[in-house]
Amino acid sequence: MKTVLVIGGGVTGLKASYELAEMGYNVSLVEKEDYLGGQVAKHKYYKLAPDMRLAGEVIDPVIKSVENNSNIKVHKHSTITSLSGDAPEFKVKIKNSKGESEETFGAIVVATGFEHFDPTVKQEYGYSRFKDVVTNAEIEEMLNPNGPTKGELKRPSDGKTPKKVAIFQCVGSRDKQVGNPYCCRVGCVVSTKQAIEIKEKYPDTEVYVYYMDMRMFGRGWEELYGKAMEEYEVIFTRGRGAEVTLKNQQLSLRAEETIMDRPIQHSVDMIILAAGQAPGEGTIEAAKILGIKQNEYGYLAPKDDFLSPNESSRKGIFIAGADKGPLDIENCIVEGAAVAAKVASSLK
Amino acid sequence: MAENTDKMVIDGVELVGIWKEFMPSRILYEDVTTEFLNEVKKLPGGETIAKCYQCGTCTGGCTLPEFVDKFNPRGFINLVRRGHYDLLVSDYKELVWKCVSCNRCTHRCPKGVNTQEVVRAIAKFLEDRKVFGKLTNDEAFDEVFMDEVINDGRIDEVKIVKDFYAKTGRLKEMMSGDQLSLGFKMFTSGRIKLFGGKIKDWKKVSQRLKEELQ
Ligand SMILES: Cc1cc2nc3c(=O)[nH]c(=O)nc-3n(C[C@H](O)[C@H](O)[C@H](O)COP(=O)(O)OP(=O)(O)OC[C@H]3O[C@@H](n4cnc5c(N)ncnc54)[C@H](O)[C@@H]3O)c2cc1C
Ligand code: SF4
Ligand code: SF4
Ligand code: SF4
Repeated sequence: MKTVLVIGGGVTGLKASYELAEMGYNVSLVEKEDYLGGQVAKHKYYKLAPDMRLAGEVIDPVIKSVENNSNIKVHKHSTITSLSGDAPEFKVKIKNSKGESEETFGAIVVATGFEHFDPTVKQEYGYSRFKDVVTNAEIEEMLNPNGPTKGELKRPSDGKTPKKVAIFQCVGSRDKQVGNPYCCRVGCVVSTKQAIEIKEKYPDTEVYVYYMDMRMFGRGWEELYGKAMEEYEVIFTRGRGAEVTLKNQQLSLRAEETIMDRPIQHSVDMIILAAGQAPGEGTIEAAKILGIKQNEYGYLAPKDDFLSPNESSRKGIFIAGADKGPLDIENCIVEGAAVAAKVASSLK
Repeated sequence: MAENTDKMVIDGVELVGIWKEFMPSRILYEDVTTEFLNEVKKLPGGETIAKCYQCGTCTGGCTLPEFVDKFNPRGFINLVRRGHYDLLVSDYKELVWKCVSCNRCTHRCPKGVNTQEVVRAIAKFLEDRKVFGKLTNDEAFDEVFMDEVINDGRIDEVKIVKDFYAKTGRLKEMMSGDQLSLGFKMFTSGRIKLFGGKIKDWKKVSQRLKEELQ
């Protein structure tokens, strides 16, 4: 059976579909939204760390390579509703606005990605109570010239350019209070990148990052961190944001400057919450329908993290990308290619 | 086997020892030990101390630093963890017990440390080592509190504060501007009353209690 179902049209799913099609498989790509590109497209990511390349430069060719490929059938605005049969003959019902149809596949790839953590539950940070407390995803859209503010950084409350911006790291990650003790793996580099973007455009705006550790393990990330300090004078303070209040209509944050042993209070115009990644509804739903295992946080669990990282608990169903846990784009592309190779060898 | 030496000679040039001779490194703390950490961990409330990753959320949001300079739950945990016992005693022993148990720290700690209880346990740890002299502030307060309950059947806030400061020989400190203005604020916001009322016929109960406690 030379047909493969790929669920999820983010970078991972796109890369997997393309590689499988190139190897001669017939691919059906099912995406629940009416656009391809996943979170990168949804939040209009502008530039990518660490090279400051335009996100479009990376994502657009990947989307085109899929849309122009005659071996790939793209189902937008579609989801799967049921699965019967076993490998290598899965019968899957695909539903869209026009109705439902059943197709047969030799293998299934799940690339359903993540959702941005919603910081409303961290009430002490004031998100959704104070207009000028925003998330890093909202900043991505704001910095994009095709976004709602046409690339201008504007305070939501009055539309002015903020003079002092603070960024809180690890919001909804490394936090047992919300049940996410894991690291979001991209928050540090994304904040550093956003700080540089802000400083580049508004040199007079001061940017302060409140962090516990700056985790700069990716290619070129540590160098970007150095650049933010040396060339852009972004101020990094070691201390996790403790709370945000409103004093005389101005945001006031509290944190401990742990290196100095001093609690500090700091008035700023805008606060960006580096909200992490959480398993999405779509991932959880797909896991239920397909009957594959999730880990304790809801992410998809590989059969063996070391030996078979792209195989799910069920034969013939494969997993890849940010639905297995937080991951950056570069590694999602590697995952997409890796899962394609694994599917091909299993269908031989 | 290489021998232990302070010198390293490369191409005939000695690179290490010479620096040690005229520029000894400055050492702040001589010993680092987990001895105290293990002790606090065993005390009731101290169980979660080792979970702390020193993020400072507790201190950042703590009620006290505004009123009590240098009060720092994260810092206390750090000193215990590294075994800087002397520093804890010399600089912080009077501070640790001042925690007001508001529990903001515990509710926000991202690591699951029960910070308020850990701070209590550190205070207890110091108390057990008798670093406070004869009567600790905690013990003094407990005594004043119990006396009041036994004698009057209820708490008169102003009296209890006065007795407490008297017992610990710090009436002067009580009359300082800081404490008075704090007291005034608590009074105007209705947190404390000037006179606690009496309970009817408490004398008999009081008598019985005293006999029982003999
Ligand atoms: C604020 C922020 C900024 C970031 N910036 C960078 C950066 O600069 N550089 C970098 O390398 N990484 C960055 N990342 C990480 C990057 O977003 C992820 O690596 C990447 O989007 C993951 O791709 P994915 O395809 O695995 O998942 P996703 O992008 O989440 O795509 C999954 C797709 O699957 C679809 N789907 C989900 N469930 C179903 C279902 N049941 N049926 C059908 N379709 C479904 C979704 O609609 C979505 O289109 C950032 C992350 C955050 C939080
Ligand atoms: S990547 Fe950075 S911001 Fe995200 S959880 Fe890890 S340390 Fe925190
Ligand atoms: S908030 Fe918790 S983890 Fe952070 S310093 Fe305080 S006790 Fe430690
Ligand atoms: S419980 Fe004690 S240590 Fe914790 S925030 Fe309140 S006063 Fe500070």
